[in-house]
Amino acid sequence: MTSTPTRTAEFRPSGTEVPTASGARTLGTLGRRAAAALSFRTIGAVYVWLLIIVLFSVWAPDTFPTVTTVKQVLNGNAVAGLVALSVVLPLTARVFDLSVAYTMSLTSVLTAHFLVSTGLGPTAAIALAMTAALVVGVVNGVVVVVLRVDSFIATLATGALIQSLITMVTDDSSITGVQLLAKPFADIAQLDVGGITLPVLYLLLAATAIWFLLEHTATGRRLYATGFNTDAARLQGVRTNRLRFLTLVTSALLAGFAGVVFASSVGSGSPSAGTPYLLSAYAAAFVGATQLRAGRFNAWGTVIAVLLLGTGITGLGLATSAQWAASLFTGSVLIVALVLTGGRITLPAVLRRHKAPVSAETGDVSAPDKEFS
Amino acid sequence: MHAETPLGSAGTQETDRPVLRVSGLSKRFGATQALQDVDLDIAHGEIHALIGPNGSGKSTLIKILAGYHHAAPGAAAELDGEPFGLGQVTGSRHDRLRFVHQELGLVGELSATDNLALSRGFARTALGNIRWPEMERRTTALVERFGLGIDVRRPLSTATPVQRAVVAIAAALQGWEGRRGVLVLDEPTAVLPPGEVARLFDIVREIRDSGASVLYVSHRMDEIFALADRVTVIRGGRRIATRRVDELTPRSLAELMAGEETETEHRPRPVSDGAEAVLEVRGLSAGPLHGVDFTLARGERLGITGLVGSGHEVVPYAVCGAYGGPVRGQVRVPERSPRWVDAKDAGRLGIPLVPADRAGEGVIGDFSVGENLTLPLLDRLRARAGRLHRRHESSLAEEWIRRVGVRAAGRGARITTLSGGNQQKVVVARCLAQQPPVLVLCEPTAGVDIATRLQLYDLIERQADEGMGVIVSSSDTEDLLALCTRVLVVRDGRIVREISGRDITEPALVHAMEGTE
Repeated sequence: MTSTPTRTAEFRPSGTEVPTASGARTLGTLGRRAAAALSFRTIGAVYVWLLIIVLFSVWAPDTFPTVTTVKQVLNGNAVAGLVALSVVLPLTARVFDLSVAYTMSLTSVLTAHFLVSTGLGPTAAIALAMTAALVVGVVNGVVVVVLRVDSFIATLATGALIQSLITMVTDDSSITGVQLLAKPFADIAQLDVGGITLPVLYLLLAATAIWFLLEHTATGRRLYATGFNTDAARLQGVRTNRLRFLTLVTSALLAGFAGVVFASSVGSGSPSAGTPYLLSAYAAAFVGATQLRAGRFNAWGTVIAVLLLGTGITGLGLATSAQWAASLFTGSVLIVALVLTGGRITLPAVLRRHKAPVSAETGDVSAPDKEFS
Repeated sequence: MHAETPLGSAGTQETDRPVLRVSGLSKRFGATQALQDVDLDIAHGEIHALIGPNGSGKSTLIKILAGYHHAAPGAAAELDGEPFGLGQVTGSRHDRLRFVHQELGLVGELSATDNLALSRGFARTALGNIRWPEMERRTTALVERFGLGIDVRRPLSTATPVQRAVVAIAAALQGWEGRRGVLVLDEPTAVLPPGEVARLFDIVREIRDSGASVLYVSHRMDEIFALADRVTVIRGGRRIATRRVDELTPRSLAELMAGEETETEHRPRPVSDGAEAVLEVRGLSAGPLHGVDFTLARGERLGITGLVGSGHEVVPYAVCGAYGGPVRGQVRVPERSPRWVDAKDAGRLGIPLVPADRAGEGVIGDFSVGENLTLPLLDRLRARAGRLHRRHESSLAEEWIRRVGVRAAGRGARITTLSGGNQQKVVVARCLAQQPPVLVLCEPTAGVDIATRLQLYDLIERQADEGMGVIVSSSDTEDLLALCTRVLVVRDGRIVREISGRDITEPALVHAMEGTE
């Protein structure tokens, strides 16, 4: 599923309307397209992000607008970004994977356990931990797709099972050891180029892969179709069950990878490594769904949301010593963004009425947007 | 509460005055003039039909009466001589205007008693707990006048469609107490099988006879002739005419609706014998269906019909491998494979289906017109590295939008901004774009206006003439009469009658379905 991307730098937010190189286009269309791509509705979070950067630069002029802060935001949120990306694919197919936080803890403690207690090399330790993540994904897929348990509750249940496994391995205390701080393993998360660590690169690669999959492949289109209307998609030959199963496998693998990176970056295997990332992952995915491809879960929107939330929390940490500010910020951003998505459903309807004279016909039958205000 | 006012006790002067009078009604949505200066008056104790194609403005008219939309200034409305505002306050409506919307607005998991209480409240004791015996007595009193033996305690999802319609009507009529007023029924037969339509008509007449007036919104001319006293035709947001039904013929009404002479009858041409088979089915069983065999010839338009529950509605899903339960039997599509395929694997044959429930199974509401069109064709649009060929995709979408004449703001428009008829064209187009040997349609014209209906008939006929085999499963005899060269009638899960060519007539179909031959 997360096939290796073939192109990296072709990020195009306008989605379906990819201009062709050969097609002659007037400046007018390009201008309109650019305006649409830069409009507040498309990338509102970017403007909010710029606003809070300005805000914190004024509030904490000595500490916030520095290169250190930039590095801190990027390096400090790469793992959170990976976890957030891991839930994007299931969400496009309308599957909730709440077990990602536990999967992440599991791989972090398993990697540490194999390195410290069994003396395996890093490659073998990581391979075994990732195999465990794969098993988790398959179990999730079996419970959700084959046994038809609602994904929300099913992954909560498998999360509890994973937690019991973690406790079995760790006795509820972190696994530490010199092997975790030694060179090849520590480099996974700590090697840096000009202060930017490798996890930032992993984040970019994962986002690019997911973006390519969702925007540019048949599989991506079918995932969205599955999420929007499973019955209709199945009747059109989309193998919805297989896709739902595979999204759960990819989410477990990506969350598992985040756990390995986490173990490398902190130099220990913590039994509760993933717990704080669950809420922020879903917050970022849902805020991300309001960006770029409004109404669709997407990779770059999620990355923007992670950076927005990360910048806010970092800034609050520098500007005030109030411990409660970070959660307040995350909660507020999430509510505001979701209210805006809710509002989005009526907003385009208003615009449509100006553009499309046929819209009066929608009054008939049971169109969902029949409520003109 | 008001005393009962039985029919006839009202004075002559009162009966002459219209119960509802609306005049100068206009409404604009952006650039679209949905209604222009429409007048409507409904007499006491009449069934007044409102007919017009999709997009004609009849839904807007109903929604203004129901208080969902505001009317443009200049409109006036009075009920029994008292003026009232037209939707100036959202959600406000006149208490003597009652509505039953097409979707009925019922909660299937709840009983009739609960559903009635949702709109009118629960009877409670001093402690606040619900007095169930009283609630059930009240509900029984309201629904039993219509007969049908509705169990007021069972969830409505277990009731028949006509029972649900009756519960919706009973819910709308709560607290009415026989006063003068108007009950608005918005296409109530859309969800009813033909056998139950007559029962609903009896109920509508009974409501009229008990002193209420009925505004009956419909797509269907035959219903108007069967039921209505007068009819108002609207088209393009204007009132075209209001006539007594007994002064009209089906042809003259069709002319009023279409604005020009329309060919109301399609003439199916029988296929010449000996045409090769494009689909063979044997021993097909699924749900209510017990062992059905048939063969579809090249260029044939085969109708499959029956009463709801007879099993005919299962045939399309089973043939396409899309039935959600256990299926037995075998299917063969010579063009795909010379071998017989087990019906449970029939999905592999790739026969496209136009499903019955357009919103639930047909379109993907959050997708654009183009994305809906190309969803089953994505495999053909692959470029390097599994990438979707966007340019091919858009030209494919544009081509089919043009070929089937979809009216949309463009391929990028969200599918839900289209009228029901245009959405159906998209659904049919994406099936045709697969260039299948067989096309299967289930209730293809449900909720589709007359003009689009004729276009769909033409489209299907053209495809058949080019050699495609077409199966039309429909409980709408109009589809069968207009479209089919041969009709199989299913009763109790078996094919009981085969009717071909000129023998396909309304009475023949109805008798075969009902088993009254």
